[in-house]
Amino acid sequence: MTTDFADGRMRLTVLGGYLGSGKTTWLRHQLHVGSFGPVHVIVNEAAETGVDDVLLAAASGLTLLAGGCSCCTGRQDLIDALRRLCDQRSRLASNGQRLQRIVLETSGLADPGAIVAAVQGDPILVNHIVIEQTIVVVDALHGLAQLQTEPLGRRQIGAADLLILSKTDAVDPESLNLLRTTLRALCPSAPQSAAVLGAAQPLPNLATDAQAPTLPPLSDDDTRGAIFPTRLKIDDSIDWSAFALWLSALLHARGNDLVRVKGVLPTPAGRLLLQTVRKVVQSPEILPAQENQSEDGTIVFIGRGFRPDDLQKSLRRFAGRSETVK
Amino acid sequence: MCNACGNPAVLGHWTEAGAATPGDRLRARFHRAGLLDKVLRPYGLTAHDGGVVPGIQLSTLSGNQSILPDLSAVWAEAERLLGRPVDPLDPVFLNDD
Repeated sequence: MTTDFADGRMRLTVLGGYLGSGKTTWLRHQLHVGSFGPVHVIVNEAAETGVDDVLLAAASGLTLLAGGCSCCTGRQDLIDALRRLCDQRSRLASNGQRLQRIVLETSGLADPGAIVAAVQGDPILVNHIVIEQTIVVVDALHGLAQLQTEPLGRRQIGAADLLILSKTDAVDPESLNLLRTTLRALCPSAPQSAAVLGAAQPLPNLATDAQAPTLPPLSDDDTRGAIFPTRLKIDDSIDWSAFALWLSALLHARGNDLVRVKGVLPTPAGRLLLQTVRKVVQSPEILPAQENQSEDGTIVFIGRGFRPDDLQKSLRRFAGRSETVK
Repeated sequence: MCNACGNPAVLGHWTEAGAATPGDRLRARFHRAGLLDKVLRPYGLTAHDGGVVPGIQLSTLSGNQSILPDLSAVWAEAERLLGRPVDPLDPVFLNDD
């Protein structure tokens, strides 16, 4: 750990961005190359199953806040976790080596602005923590579509001090420019940078006269219903390849409503990490074995337009070994 | 390959990434093809993957046949042939009987 900042307070970076925009991927790379130095990472997941904490093992300390988004239902958990960190740190001598930086990775459903307001409004935390910056990761592939339809996506952009465009290798320069002018219109103060799998990429200068496309007005009460997380337990009767068959069909038919799917699936090759964003499946990865594998086989679905029970029913009918579809 | 995140990862389509050995892969292909055929038959399509032709063979009852490299391509082709996607959340897959 490095020595204290002059004011003796810790620096908090809030890392936000929509579901599947690439927050964890970016942070994982930053931890690997050490851009933050020694850092405590707090990961918040809206669903009750944590996946991201496995990927962020390079942090010097890690807190997982699962089962509630920290800008609304899980706000108190976040405040408590931060107070605990402050408490632990205050017990150490200020001339020693103690924790200087915290990175909070929000859930994809969180409004970073609300989190910043909650932390700054807390009478204890304000004496211990300075919010250094809010970094918002924007999916270059799906960002424009999200901004057109999701009020939350726009609020996230508005809260940013720095915008990082991810997956820029997957889009053509015209769509990238369109997205960038839109982002500039939504949040003119935030500089934009780009990263592919966390590694920084050069971005050409944006023409100053480029016109942003007009975004349709959105109201907060969405007629399509709220995006909610749900979990699906894959039991032993479902073979991994059958599950993949079902999921591939589901993504094809319902990809636009199924904003995010993630989880670890036990397979013959090992623990297969599955992550999707709308219809795009991220390149599969086999995770190393670890002590606590109790969450393996529990897949998190975040989306709208379906009933949680239907997923289980459909999977049974679609992919169960013994049953037949009439 | 980056030793932190393992990218680029396992080659091939994601639906096949769980197989560790050629045996697993073949077993998974056969199992999957059987299930796929069962799912598609009520729609008037048949699927076959015998392990010989590299790909999944999708046929209509009138004999129109295509060979598709992976499941994503199968669902896209099925949608093209049917005029609507095969939706796992369609009531036909949700009945308890």
